[in-house]
Amino acid sequence: MDPESAAEETEWRIRPPRHRVDRRFIVWQTAVAVLWAAVLLGVVGAVYWFAEVTRPWLGPVLIILSVLSTVEIAVAPTARYLVHRWQATDDAVYALEGWFTRRWQIVPISRIQSIDTEIGPLQGLLGLATIRVTTASSEGKISIEGLDAAVARATVDRLREVTAATAGDAT
Amino acid sequence: MTAEAHPWRRLSVRAVYLDLIRLVGSLVPGFLGVTLGDDGPIWFLVAGSVVGLLGAGAGLIRWMTTRYRVTPELVEMRSGLVQRKHRTVNRDRIRTVDSTAKWLHRVFGLRVVHIGSGDTGSSFDLDALDRGHAAQLHRELSPGAVVRAEAEAETDAATSEVPETVIARWDARWVPLNAVNVWAVLTAVGPPFALYWFLRPFGVDLLDIGRALLDRQPLGGPVLIAVGVLVAYAVGFAGNAVSFVLQNANFQLVRRGTAPDTALVTHRGLLSTQTLQRDDRRLRGLQFTEPLLWRWLGLTETKVITTGLKTTGESGSGDLVPRVRMPEARDIAARVLADDHRPLEAALHRHPRGALVRRIGWALWGPALGSAVLALFVLTGALPDWVWPLPLALIPLTVPLAVVAYRSLGHALTGPYLVVRHGATQRHTVALQRRAVIGWSLRQSLLQRWGDRMTIGIATAAGARHYEAHDAGVDQTIAFLRGATPELAAEILEPVAVSTVRSTAMSGSTTS
Repeated sequence: MDPESAAEETEWRIRPPRHRVDRRFIVWQTAVAVLWAAVLLGVVGAVYWFAEVTRPWLGPVLIILSVLSTVEIAVAPTARYLVHRWQATDDAVYALEGWFTRRWQIVPISRIQSIDTEIGPLQGLLGLATIRVTTASSEGKISIEGLDAAVARATVDRLREVTAATAGDAT
Repeated sequence: MTAEAHPWRRLSVRAVYLDLIRLVGSLVPGFLGVTLGDDGPIWFLVAGSVVGLLGAGAGLIRWMTTRYRVTPELVEMRSGLVQRKHRTVNRDRIRTVDSTAKWLHRVFGLRVVHIGSGDTGSSFDLDALDRGHAAQLHRELSPGAVVRAEAEAETDAATSEVPETVIARWDARWVPLNAVNVWAVLTAVGPPFALYWFLRPFGVDLLDIGRALLDRQPLGGPVLIAVGVLVAYAVGFAGNAVSFVLQNANFQLVRRGTAPDTALVTHRGLLSTQTLQRDDRRLRGLQFTEPLLWRWLGLTETKVITTGLKTTGESGSGDLVPRVRMPEARDIAARVLADDHRPLEAALHRHPRGALVRRIGWALWGPALGSAVLALFVLTGALPDWVWPLPLALIPLTVPLAVVAYRSLGHALTGPYLVVRHGATQRHTVALQRRAVIGWSLRQSLLQRWGDRMTIGIATAAGARHYEAHDAGVDQTIAFLRGATPELAAEILEPVAVSTVRSTAMSGSTTS
């Protein structure tokens, strides 16, 4: 292979976004998973316990649900924390999320239509916040979950400043 | 503001006559039901009359209360008796002007004008205007109308012709292409079903008559079903053909106006007519949809991809012309896009082999998983034994579909367009302008990561809001991103140090 063509065909790869989310993300997601599992297994378990007719077919469902819940509580939060990354520059918002299925999303600042901060009750207790950036496309919606509340606030303020300075109707 | 120059206008008084006719018409079935019906259920005939009565009353109130006006900046409408509404829409926001007329409307020379702004909350329905006022509204709201009006005032040339170029015109050969349909059977079933319910109150039971007829004929069961289906299809195709002609006769698609203020205007309909106007500045691309069953005929539906319209509902379907054959569709597409690129004909990059393996995998383990789940229930006794192998019977169908789905996959960059294609039973080819891309979303499952593939999601404000190139190779993805949006791609891509990593990349599989 001659060096010239090698120089032209520079190989490129996808670079992960710069920042990790906050460490408390793991605690938060575990708590959420525990609550979900409690509600789900509680309801299904109650039906299994009280309505004997349903036992033959609800048994396998209950087993599958328990296995999935255990994985969701024990492994998923940490696995997600290790994958999730984000960055917001003056040009674009870029995020990576997922676990089995990874998802890279990027939206240029000029196409952003709204920027929201969301703090649920659990997130509030832990001092976390979620940033949501929406565009005119359903797919161009980025959620960055589990940021430190102060970091989220600073980021959103900065993004608002930049988007206000950008012209156009974002479509 | 110059209130004098832009007076409030009313709906046509002829709409009242229409309402009176409807009033009388809706009373007839209820009257018949009450006087003639002896034993059958008559409640729905009476209910129909009541609904008709209420509708006619609402129409009268609408005529009495509705006022509208068009100013250089705004379109306004006031309506309502008890709950008064005053709706104001900025003219920039108006996407489509659409006028329709049912046959009764046409008898009275009336048109229902719909002014769409892409959002039901800020769209108007003017029901109904006379023909002259409807045409006037079309003219006033066509792109560039304000500029033109000013120019006319200056030059004093009141009747400057708006230039028009014809893109497509009604062709009788379209009829068979649009009449054939797998669901035609249902079209044939609908009317007898309605007739059955309509005749019940009058003591006529079609079901009994049918049974009596069946008893008398000599054919066996399977033959009878085959004949029935054939007849149903024939009737269905005929019905489709008639309704297609009624809706689309006199079809004409033209581009009207002088650049840059042009619009695509569709006019069609035999008894009821429809005129639809789409602003060219919102055009972002085109889409072909080819049904698998008619691929050998080269049938395709053509849709426009525009911004500012809801994905469903009002003119959101984006249908541009009826189903036509591929060569004609391509010509029409070229004339609509009018920039010599013909993106929908571009040679597409094939996706890696792994995508085929993945699709065949789905085709196999989907039914297998279904069987396994059913087997689990069979074991616990919730379902009878013979159920569990049923999903496996689908495999002879799913595997060929998987191959078709793989062969559909493709993507390309040509001129200012991105082109992506996918689909098994319907093959969708989308050509989207680069400037319409408002973000990327790349997805990679665990198996795709091992196979070095990913799914490219294209976020856009136009059309379906989201288009995908499924299962492209990672290197193809990177090339696609860099070609389509270089600045944005620079944000998420980084060069690999050539000397060191290149050799390892070469030693791995280089799928091209």
